[in-house]
Amino acid sequence: MTSTAQPIKGAVVAQEQRWKVIRKQLPNYLFVLPHFLLFAVFILFPIFRSIHISLFDWKIMLKEQHFIGLANYEALLKDQIFWQALGNTAYIMLFTVICNIVLGLLIASGLKHSFFGSNFLRVLFYAPGIVSVSVLAIIGIRIWDTQLGVVNYFVTTLLHGPRVSWLGNPSLVLPALSMTTVWWTFGFPMLVFIAGLQNIPETLYEAAKIDGANPRQSFFYITIPLIMPTMLFITVTQFIAHMQVFAQAYIISGGGPGNYSRTVVMYLYETAWRYFRFGYASAISVVLAAIMIVVTLILFYLLRRRTEY
Amino acid sequence: MDIKTALLNKKSSRILGLWLVFLPLVFIVIVPLLYMVSMAFTREAGQLKFPIEWIPQPITITNFTHIFADKTLPIMRWFGNSLLVATVGTIIVGFLSSLSGYAFARLEFPGKNMLFSLLIFSLMIPAAVTLIPAFLLLRDVKLLNTYHAIWWPAAATVTGIFLMRQHFYAIPKDLEDAALVDGASRFRIYWQICLPLVRGALVALSIFTFLGMWNDLFWPLIVLSDREVLTLPIGLLVLQQGSYIQRGLAFAGAFIATVPVLIFYAIFQRRIIAGITTTGMAGQ
Repeated sequence: MTSTAQPIKGAVVAQEQRWKVIRKQLPNYLFVLPHFLLFAVFILFPIFRSIHISLFDWKIMLKEQHFIGLANYEALLKDQIFWQALGNTAYIMLFTVICNIVLGLLIASGLKHSFFGSNFLRVLFYAPGIVSVSVLAIIGIRIWDTQLGVVNYFVTTLLHGPRVSWLGNPSLVLPALSMTTVWWTFGFPMLVFIAGLQNIPETLYEAAKIDGANPRQSFFYITIPLIMPTMLFITVTQFIAHMQVFAQAYIISGGGPGNYSRTVVMYLYETAWRYFRFGYASAISVVLAAIMIVVTLILFYLLRRRTEY
Repeated sequence: MDIKTALLNKKSSRILGLWLVFLPLVFIVIVPLLYMVSMAFTREAGQLKFPIEWIPQPITITNFTHIFADKTLPIMRWFGNSLLVATVGTIIVGFLSSLSGYAFARLEFPGKNMLFSLLIFSLMIPAAVTLIPAFLLLRDVKLLNTYHAIWWPAAATVTGIFLMRQHFYAIPKDLEDAALVDGASRFRIYWQICLPLVRGALVALSIFTFLGMWNDLFWPLIVLSDREVLTLPIGLLVLQQGSYIQRGLAFAGAFIATVPVLIFYAIFQRRIIAGITTTGMAGQ
């Protein structure tokens, strides 16, 4: 305030003050430093390092790596398996995310108000999510088994249908893996949706009811618009999680038949740790990351626009 | 009275209706888990029966005795390894996340906002792109096949910081000011005053970190290869590989890996569900 009277002296004093404050704040860095070092080493640096490695014909045994520029990316563009894996991944991701959101929101609407046993249902529906993916896979292999499987047990006994070769059929293996993933993961969106729904003031529904709105109108004109922030969060986190689907395909179907259920992260894993082609695998990871960042930004743009009105 | 019973009838029929809707879902959720339990106690010959024998004839523990007898399948060792990995990892993640979260909620330092934006931005980066450099780095410093290769990358996570920061914000500033006047250091204020006040969030974070590390397969699969140091999820894959086409063993292993987690979940279900809800909401 007084600096207007003596601008130069005021500025000097202000600068000295600022330095004093900064010196006093220096120890505060110690609080963030331990985590930031690990963050820099294991997240920040690897991002740039991945791009760097992807420009080499990187083989783990070599002392000197051979620089090849964008050749890995050129090869990737023509790589049939990569494109197929990307398609498979997109299929599993879309199937899972859509089912999880629709199922999660519907169940959440039913469990929003507590009733006899509603807490038990919440706990039960989240239970599959705490199972390790290895256990999921052990169960999954036998659930979808043609000869002995649980699904075929119900198909033959309840529906009197023929045994279906779920994991051996190119057009059924992805739905089977997706449904396995939905069984495993729908609990999380459900719980977050319940919390989101409980945040919507009940008075809105009562007012709408008095105005003659039916439940369906209430759902589409009150619930859906007001649940959009939750929807954005769920969509983005689910998208990021399921684009990196690995173990279900790796263990349950082994990527087969042929390459019909190979996913991008599985292809990346095999390229790096089975064939030790780290340069090519890095190119795969960079392309996957680029696709995911672009889609995440688009999702933010689309869904955020809908929430602001 | 009539109105009351009518209302009661309406209410109970609503509950009944909801249960009827949810019953198929309950069935779908439960059957695979029950199947695992059933198969874990079915002898090898019974594994191949179709239609499925839901209640094993006879109920047997031979699958378990087989695993324990097989020296090449040190499942209790894997169990202990998982326990060690998850416990130490949880302590590291909990400490570093709360330390950082406290600073971002309460302390001032140059570049704070920029640093925080960097952490938020990193959420968009898929883990897949960090795998290879992290692996090569750990190989170069000879940390593969040790648990350092799991703990330190895990501690780089940023989600815990967001959760802790959110909760540190909610503490009234006056509390800290009083302590500052009394001459307490910043670290002491964090450790003795603020941390106990966000215990709930810290417990939630710890539970999720523990479950996540107990169940994780992908990263341990990359950095661990010696049979002695494997964690349980990788051990379960070993049970299915090679000459062991013994289905019962895999289910017994799955049972051993899952039951402690389910008991843990049953005990802490209220906390876990509340934790997911607040984390989910904080994430927005």
